Amino acid sequence: MTETQSAPARTAARLLRTPYFWGIVAIALLLLVNVLRDPGYLAITVNPANGNLVGNLVDILRAAAPILMIAVGMCLVIATGGIDLSVGSIMVVSGAVAMEFLNAAAAPDSVLAALAAFLLAVAFGAILGAVNGILVSVVGLQPFISTLVILLAGRGLAKVITEGQNTAASNEPFRWIANGYLVGLPVVLLFAVLIVIAVGLLVRRSALGLMIEAIGMDPKAARLAGIKRRSLLMTVYIASGILAGIAGVFATASVMTVDVSRTGYQLELDAILAVVIGGTSLAGGKFNLGGTVVGALLIATLDKTVVFLGISSSATPAFKAIVIVVLCLLQSERVRQLFRQRRAPGTFVPSKETIPA
Amino acid sequence: MSVHSRFAKTAALAMAGMLTLGLASCASGGGDDAGGGGDDLTTVGFVAVGPEGAWRQANEANIQDTFTTDAGFELKYAPATNLDQKSQIDAFTSFVDEGVDVILLSATEGSGWEDSLERAQEAEIPVILIDRGIEPDDTDLYVTRIAPDNISVSESVAEWALEQFPDGGNYFTLEGPAGVSVVNERNEGFTSVVDGTSLSSLGAQTANWSTEEAKSVFETVLKSNNNDVQFVFAQNDEMGLGAIQAVEEAGLVPGVDVKIATIDGTQGALEALAEGKLSFVAEYNPLFGETALEVVNSVLDGDEVESYIVVPSETFDSPEAASTALPTREF
Repeated sequence: MTETQSAPARTAARLLRTPYFWGIVAIALLLLVNVLRDPGYLAITVNPANGNLVGNLVDILRAAAPILMIAVGMCLVIATGGIDLSVGSIMVVSGAVAMEFLNAAAAPDSVLAALAAFLLAVAFGAILGAVNGILVSVVGLQPFISTLVILLAGRGLAKVITEGQNTAASNEPFRWIANGYLVGLPVVLLFAVLIVIAVGLLVRRSALGLMIEAIGMDPKAARLAGIKRRSLLMTVYIASGILAGIAGVFATASVMTVDVSRTGYQLELDAILAVVIGGTSLAGGKFNLGGTVVGALLIATLDKTVVFLGISSSATPAFKAIVIVVLCLLQSERVRQLFRQRRAPGTFVPSKETIPA
Repeated sequence: MSVHSRFAKTAALAMAGMLTLGLASCASGGGDDAGGGGDDLTTVGFVAVGPEGAWRQANEANIQDTFTTDAGFELKYAPATNLDQKSQIDAFTSFVDEGVDVILLSATEGSGWEDSLERAQEAEIPVILIDRGIEPDDTDLYVTRIAPDNISVSESVAEWALEQFPDGGNYFTLEGPAGVSVVNERNEGFTSVVDGTSLSSLGAQTANWSTEEAKSVFETVLKSNNNDVQFVFAQNDEMGLGAIQAVEEAGLVPGVDVKIATIDGTQGALEALAEGKLSFVAEYNPLFGETALEVVNSVLDGDEVESYIVVPSETFDSPEAASTALPTREF
């Protein structure tokens, strides 16, 4: 049967097997539902006053920026066979540091203060990421436990930094990071896209990505092949921490307030979800950055759709859960085989396990 | 090599230990149980919520400042760990075992308190609920509840809105997390006044008390209604402040195109009201330490008290009112 397939059908079949294909379909469907509710949903207009692009799609992309950051970091960590539960807490720590700094600096127009706050926030992200890295690679704790420690300690640390208060600050250049526009596009989006591309190039154009996958696949074999597991793990967890720090800046700069109990709260779950939707296995050994981007966009689209449709607050988690469960079922090889089996009971051939090279 | 790696391991372990210690100290931060209070002091166990926001901070600081040794009390302050009910139940139980004279309780969760309250009753320790109620609300299990009334506070918001929009208008509600009793009561009070009037609801969404989420939610609400929203009912100050930013970014003027009303009355909200960005702030008064003190005294004297004591709250409906109140604002 496979031999008789035409070329376009083969392409379609390959597309169907792409792990994040269903993620794209889901985004398209959600957008379609929104268009049915309001035909002008997809319209992007140019604000005549300042030439900025305005529209729901722009809002979605802006909302996706922090999720993109933590999801990319999470994707790399998961590829090593680990997990980083601390990203949400790192977000709140870096946000708290930035807000406290700007508050103390009391320089509402200073670019320098904004830059310093940004670097400070990222540095705190890197430090906490390094603690994760040490716990995992040097001490040899389970990634789940080590990052859980930072998940709890991070929010505590943020409370210590801000004395348990939600802290607001004013600094226009810092606010611009999340709310400003550059050549008509939101700065935060440009920022996020640049970072994702940079990470993508770094891991895929060098051997870094392969080495990360290698330690996720089989740490022993990787060591025998001469891969330095410890320094790689450190790199990956620090990268995740830095990205979470940037996400924290995005989240707090948007409203110039850090909310110690809410900023970044449970966002680690969104990040893991984005990675899984993108077709990266939690078992590690393989990762798909493009898919992770799709996953992050899907989560942002889902969040915005819930509000746009006016789904009541109590039904929101259920609605989200249904969309995600359906998506995961569609991605599952076993469920798809079940459907194939039903459709053509005679021709079913169990697919051969692919042997990793 | 092995020595080196052992050192690294020890260092990392020490680091992990420090972190854990840090955690523990966070949990018990502010614990004021120095002990050694004289026999003539009345011991009060305060099972508290801990860091949650500006309102809670003001409320608990006020209680702590009222029940001082000078006033004849030894207050044992036990905040919850990360808003966890189990840590509260543990603190409550140890207060009962210790045999304190009175327990003040601000429950993070309304349900699941029956067993603990019965134990206190057996030990003949009176329990006074501070702010948060319990569910089911069995008044036999506690002496009294002292709290501002959510329903009347949100009714005051609704009445103001009806005055502002005699010709009707569209409003949107920014709620706290679904299912929390505060949210239900604030909704109940608001809709009881607004229902059947010319104000029409565009819907309600939760923004989880957060400024950031409120901004994101409201920017989408404005788009989905083509900016045709005249009034926002934000169930706390933080969400109202987020709505202001969404309104400004949509190119509208808060206070003119969209009027925003909030509940709580923290400093940030009054500042925004003074600038005209918010239009109405209903206070949910956290400063009732004095009332609590009087109640504790009369309970210990064996007097009967009402099972629900309402704390009076103010409302602020103009920038001038806010500017007058700001210099003396304690939270």
